[in-house]
Amino acid sequence: MNSGFLLAVLLMVAPAIAAATFFKRIEYSTIVAATVDVVIASLLYYIRPPVGTFFVDNVSWVFIIMICSVFLLSSIYSLRYLSGKTRGFGLRIYYLLLNLFVISMLFSALINNFGLMWVGIEATTISSALLIMTEKTEGSVEATWRYIILVSAGVTFAFFSVILIYYSFGTLNVSAILSMHSRNTFFARIAVAIALIGFGTKVGIFPVHTWLPDAHSEAPSPVSAMFSGVLLPVALYVLFRIYEIDPDPELFIWLGTLSIIAASILLGYQSRYKRMFAYSTMENMSLALIGFATLNPLGIIGSLYLLISHSFSKAGAFYSSGNFLKSTDTKNVEEISGTWKNMPYSSASMLMSSLGVSGTPPFGTFFGEILILYSLAVGNYIPQLILIVIFLVTAFIGINYNVSRMIMGEPANFKEPGRLMPAVSIISASIPLLIGAYFLVVFNALV
Amino acid sequence: MITLIEETLTQFLFVIFLSPLFAGIFARIKAMVESRKGPSIFQPYYDIFKLLRKDTLIPENSSFLFRYVPYVAFGVYCIIALIIPVVIPEPIIFTASADFLGGAILFSLAAFLKMAAAMDSGSNFTAMGVSRLMSFNVLGEGALITVFIAVSLITGTNNPYVTNAFLVSHPSANLTLVHVFATVAFFMIFLYETGKIPLESAGMQELGMIDEGLNYEYSGKLLAINKWSSYIKQYLLGAVLLNVFLFPWWLTASSPGFLLDIPIMIGKFVLLILIVMVIETTLAKVRLFKVLDYLAVAFTFSILFLLLSEVIP
Amino acid sequence: MNFSSAIYLTSAAVLITAFYIQGQRYLISAIRGQLVQSTIIAAIAFILAYTENSIDLLILGILLFFLRGVLITYLLAARVPMKKAYYFESGINVPYLFLVDLVFMVVSVFILYSIAFSGLVPVTLPDSPQDLLFPLLLFFQGLFLITSRRSTFTQIVGYVEEENALVLFAMFLLPVPIVIEASVFLDVLALVVISSVITVEKVNHEQMEELRG
Repeated sequence: MNSGFLLAVLLMVAPAIAAATFFKRIEYSTIVAATVDVVIASLLYYIRPPVGTFFVDNVSWVFIIMICSVFLLSSIYSLRYLSGKTRGFGLRIYYLLLNLFVISMLFSALINNFGLMWVGIEATTISSALLIMTEKTEGSVEATWRYIILVSAGVTFAFFSVILIYYSFGTLNVSAILSMHSRNTFFARIAVAIALIGFGTKVGIFPVHTWLPDAHSEAPSPVSAMFSGVLLPVALYVLFRIYEIDPDPELFIWLGTLSIIAASILLGYQSRYKRMFAYSTMENMSLALIGFATLNPLGIIGSLYLLISHSFSKAGAFYSSGNFLKSTDTKNVEEISGTWKNMPYSSASMLMSSLGVSGTPPFGTFFGEILILYSLAVGNYIPQLILIVIFLVTAFIGINYNVSRMIMGEPANFKEPGRLMPAVSIISASIPLLIGAYFLVVFNALV
Repeated sequence: MITLIEETLTQFLFVIFLSPLFAGIFARIKAMVESRKGPSIFQPYYDIFKLLRKDTLIPENSSFLFRYVPYVAFGVYCIIALIIPVVIPEPIIFTASADFLGGAILFSLAAFLKMAAAMDSGSNFTAMGVSRLMSFNVLGEGALITVFIAVSLITGTNNPYVTNAFLVSHPSANLTLVHVFATVAFFMIFLYETGKIPLESAGMQELGMIDEGLNYEYSGKLLAINKWSSYIKQYLLGAVLLNVFLFPWWLTASSPGFLLDIPIMIGKFVLLILIVMVIETTLAKVRLFKVLDYLAVAFTFSILFLLLSEVIP
Repeated sequence: MNFSSAIYLTSAAVLITAFYIQGQRYLISAIRGQLVQSTIIAAIAFILAYTENSIDLLILGILLFFLRGVLITYLLAARVPMKKAYYFESGINVPYLFLVDLVFMVVSVFILYSIAFSGLVPVTLPDSPQDLLFPLLLFFQGLFLITSRRSTFTQIVGYVEEENALVLFAMFLLPVPIVIEASVFLDVLALVVISSVITVEKVNHEQMEELRG
């Protein structure tokens, strides 16, 4: 048995074992499993499984390490965040579903088969749906329902693309298809276009994004962090793998641009901060999609860079939102101001992560964005480039204006919600700073 | 030429004079099924004669439309009787004056004229009947026209005689999807247009009436004409349903043989009456506003399979 | 009568069940309509298994009938609320729905088919490529059912209808490996179970102030 193969299997087995301890302290075994997963995922960078059942290259490795680290952060954060809740599911079911959710995401990122990738994406819907309605408020039930029905309808449509891939190549093996020479058949192109709409539903591409803000604003904050940080990127990963078969940059870049424009405009109208961050996720995903779509090696690395920094930043943003929600008990930006005095840590992490998700220079997201914009310029997509830059600036102003309104102002009487939660959010929000600081190191690791 | 004239006369006179008979047969069979004795099968003729002898009352506020439209509508139905294959399976003298679609549009014209005349009477009851009919006919007439187009797609011409001949010579064409669904849709329209039970019941006039509402202000001679033309309409629709959709076989067109068409047509129509009878005695009448649902189904089927037949030969 | 025309007419029957479900006010009838639809598709699978001599399609048919037909119907039917206010959906305007549906079908399916799918040569049904239109119609019919209705149950049925369309499409074009097909089935089943948890909480879905924008 190959050691890389064993590692990949262990990666999925660890959360499964944690899930098996359902009756006894599942929360702590989940944290242990998440830590083990982070270690294994780091090892996986050096010891790759052979191409066969699994297919791990640099691209999929980035997604795997993202999943594992955000999983670790979320499982620690949930410990306090959910402890006071009375209504809804118990903590045990929550952790069980969290583990299954992570397993299905890892499965989608590891597996070497388009059909099973589809199954994995569908399984993420199943396992994550109930996580949204953990608190069982009316809004969260409705949001869960919209999530289930919209996303599964979209992903169902994507299965047409899987069938067409099988029709065109006679196999669903990712590595086998990607090593073929003449892949540009008419139906492969149709399959790619269908996948854009189908998996695009899960990624949050413009006309089919409507579930995204609902689910993000109604889910508990650690779950929102998992959604934004890793679930959407995993769907994007699958979309990218299909895109690689027969690339059609014009279509993808235009739709991504449109999506960025829509997200930036909608973002400005939001009065609830979690919804605002959800639209920011949509914007970042579209940008990453564009980076992948250029197929320029720099663009792809830029996208990976953007995704990994964004996943920590956005997780930090949602953890900070969770802190704010916990202590102020409102989701409305208008009703919060002057948190800097009494909630210094949460305010700091909120500010850092909002700067991070909007792509401010020292953060990793900035470098990712620059690489993507550069590869757009190289690929001669000038009109799109101009539009994207304009609306990135709009989004930057929109997010940071709202966040600074919450933090600045007359000091208000809010209390910091314990110690653990602000600590997690600070850690999560500052990782992108490290990624940015060690830009060249990370860049060389991903090349 | 003589044969042609004979055929034309046969078809025309058959339609004009025998169509009330089928209404009588229908009422008689229905009575038998319901274990009543029932009226004579010639009762429609007696009714018409009785009405013809009576005085005609004309509403004070009405105009010439009210008085002349029954005759015009009767004339329109007579023209239809000459252009579609209702008895003779071969083109007759006036066939060339309009195609199948023309026939469908003439049906619509007659319906429109009757509604206009009914409105002209200024009565509240007819106004209600007309408004009902109008809202139903949006879908009903649409489906009727679509069905007539659908059948022409099988042969590629809009000539019902060609379609009839084609269906007789190619039995498998009767099982193509477009034909099956055009038939189903047309059958549904037939039930609606002739006021049969899931949609309209002759018993409870004011509550359930759709088509009958138009005759509300008519009396005497004009009522007789109106009734007669509605018998003709029923026969025409039934005969088209039989000869072009449901059962195109057994008609002959040779010189003396065409006389045989008369008993065969009567037999086929009795068959249709029996089918309708089964529906009429097993189903309950639907509520009035559900008629629209029913027509929507017919319309959807006719359009959908019209489109399908464009893609699937 | 040969097999291709048998399949052709049976798939038309599938389309009719789709319209039947679309026009239903009563939840239980819609759920049973789904049962009939899955059974017909299972029958198509059996016909194809016979003509193609394929054991995969046979397994597929059995899976379809038991997982989709029996199990999902049972799961959903057991949860239909007994209160009169809930077991049928009020405010359904059938003529309006059908006409909008028709326009939607024409715009989506026929255009999509003529642009993208008309050149496909099915492996299973090489002489009647146009039959692929039926699964596409069924798929968009399911999509329309979801968008046009407010009840959780009808929306689940719409989703199952979409999945049926996928199976039908795969069967007509070329059978996807059975491992994938089976896991798709299990996925869908699990999704329906999850959805039926929601039916306990919420039967109808309307606009919400909290989820605007």
